Amino acid sequence: MNLGLRGQERLRLTVIYILCAVVLIWALAPIYWVAVSSISTRQQLYARPYKIWFPSEPTLESYKTIFTQGAKFRAGGFSPTAHLMSTGLRNSVIISVASAGIVTLMATGAGYAFARMQFAGKNLIFLLIMLMLPLPIWVSLIALFFIMSQLELIDTLLGLILIFVTLLLPLSVWMMTTFVRDIPSEIQDAARVDGADRWRLVYSIILPLARPGMVAVFLVAMLSTWNNFLIPLIFTRTDDSQPLTIVLTLFIGQYEVAWEDMSAAAVVTMLPPFLMALFFQRYLVRGLTMGAVK
Amino acid sequence: MGAKHVTRRIFSSDSRYVIVVLAPIVLLIALFIYYPAVDTFRTSTTNYNLRVRRPPKSVGLNNYVKLLEDDEFWEVTGRSFKVVIITLPLEMLVAFGIAMLLNQRFPGRAIVRTLTFLPWMLPGVVNGFLWGWLLNGEYGALNGFLYQLGLISEYQYWLREPEHLIFWVTVVQTWTRYAFPTIILLAGLQSIPHDLYDAAKVDGANALSGVRFITLPLLLPSFGIALVVEFIAAFQIFDVIWTLTAGGSAGGAMNPFTKTLMLYNYELVFRDLRVGLGAALSYIILLMSLAVGVIFVMRVYNQGVQEA
Repeated sequence: MNLGLRGQERLRLTVIYILCAVVLIWALAPIYWVAVSSISTRQQLYARPYKIWFPSEPTLESYKTIFTQGAKFRAGGFSPTAHLMSTGLRNSVIISVASAGIVTLMATGAGYAFARMQFAGKNLIFLLIMLMLPLPIWVSLIALFFIMSQLELIDTLLGLILIFVTLLLPLSVWMMTTFVRDIPSEIQDAARVDGADRWRLVYSIILPLARPGMVAVFLVAMLSTWNNFLIPLIFTRTDDSQPLTIVLTLFIGQYEVAWEDMSAAAVVTMLPPFLMALFFQRYLVRGLTMGAVK
Repeated sequence: MGAKHVTRRIFSSDSRYVIVVLAPIVLLIALFIYYPAVDTFRTSTTNYNLRVRRPPKSVGLNNYVKLLEDDEFWEVTGRSFKVVIITLPLEMLVAFGIAMLLNQRFPGRAIVRTLTFLPWMLPGVVNGFLWGWLLNGEYGALNGFLYQLGLISEYQYWLREPEHLIFWVTVVQTWTRYAFPTIILLAGLQSIPHDLYDAAKVDGANALSGVRFITLPLLLPSFGIALVVEFIAAFQIFDVIWTLTAGGSAGGAMNPFTKTLMLYNYELVFRDLRVGLGAALSYIILLMSLAVGVIFVMRVYNQGVQEA
């Protein structure tokens, strides 16, 4: 068979797009189905053996239910805590934005020190921060739990934020150190000659130039905090501080909730990471593959 | 005097900067990471148990011995390695295939790439839930899909047989994580010079032998990095299992058939309240991941040295 050059190219593209379709079905089908489940009526959702792949009358009823009445039990009635979703959303937002903001500032200041200054103990401190990366977290968690109880920080947003900031430090400091190192030092030297001290220098020279780096650090920190489950599982008890990842598992485990409501809760829980991954993926990939890709 | 004065001023402002910037960091990691790590080790040598009203007593290395003599410990450890051993090849296969595809030039590649990497960025507990719902025996979408294609004649309870559970756990872990190795391999692929393939073509090699003799060998360092990171991820699997099969929020029984090391550790400390024993387990886990990590890193390093 002799295909022309254009025919060959067309064949190549056809094969590629078929493969792309397979890959996208694998990647997106579970997400699609949970989204569809969350806007289906119960009757259509539970149809069998033929599933209804898109509801004939999409409805936002499940979202309304989980935010106003709490999750529906499958047996009828509602979970006792009607506001669990809204407190969860509030807690998730506060924890992830605050942790990401604080760690970005701390990492920027430290990144400058590690990249551009000489001081006693520099290598030791850097090593101590970076050694956290391969350390399995359980080793610290057990005793940390008792420390947090003594500080009365269990089940508080402040406690969670402090832990998250600490856990985010190694990657964030590493990222910022690299970013600051990549800023041409001539600009900074010029400012030094003009007599600017370190604070002025960082504030007026480094901050503007390192902004893409800071955005990457912030986004990675926010994503990891939002998605985290283990830390709030151990350090929260009530809706005072439980974020959405915990609320979702409470729905799944404790209350035997209807699937359409759980799906809506899952969609709410994954929506911010989903949107971040769609719109800021470049930044996130850069941060999350730090060190593995040059 | 002028010059000296200026020097001292800069020096002192410099050290003030370093102290203000680094003191909180050092304080946080000392108080929240390193002190607790040491304290956990101390706890691991006591019989600390919150269920028993007695002051904890030092028991030496008894907890370690107790664990190593316990059948459940070996069962759980075996399960964790099983998860790793099934997940890693599965993940690398998926990642290699997708990386090869995304390494092609075609219109729309950027958007396909973005969508392909989505699952990686979602919360693990959500991913476990998504798949649990997909695989549901009564109303699950997988059943509906296969039924409509005529591939099954009645709905299957995918998550019922204990021996199937671990397989599904690895599938969901693969779905959650494959983006990372894909990105690493893709970066590796893009660094392979095109002339190599052209040269091979002149020598009469076909596409398949190009992959076999050029692509795969040159990708070895990328595979090495991906394997190390994915080993750690699979070894420390927790969130995904929690919502897929563990079936227990606070107080509920934990599914024994998908209990891996991290879940076992959680159970020992926060459900059974056997703190001393749990602390010992966390140190055994540390040693295991260090050992495997070091072996992997040495391998990769040696490979790199040989290549260079």
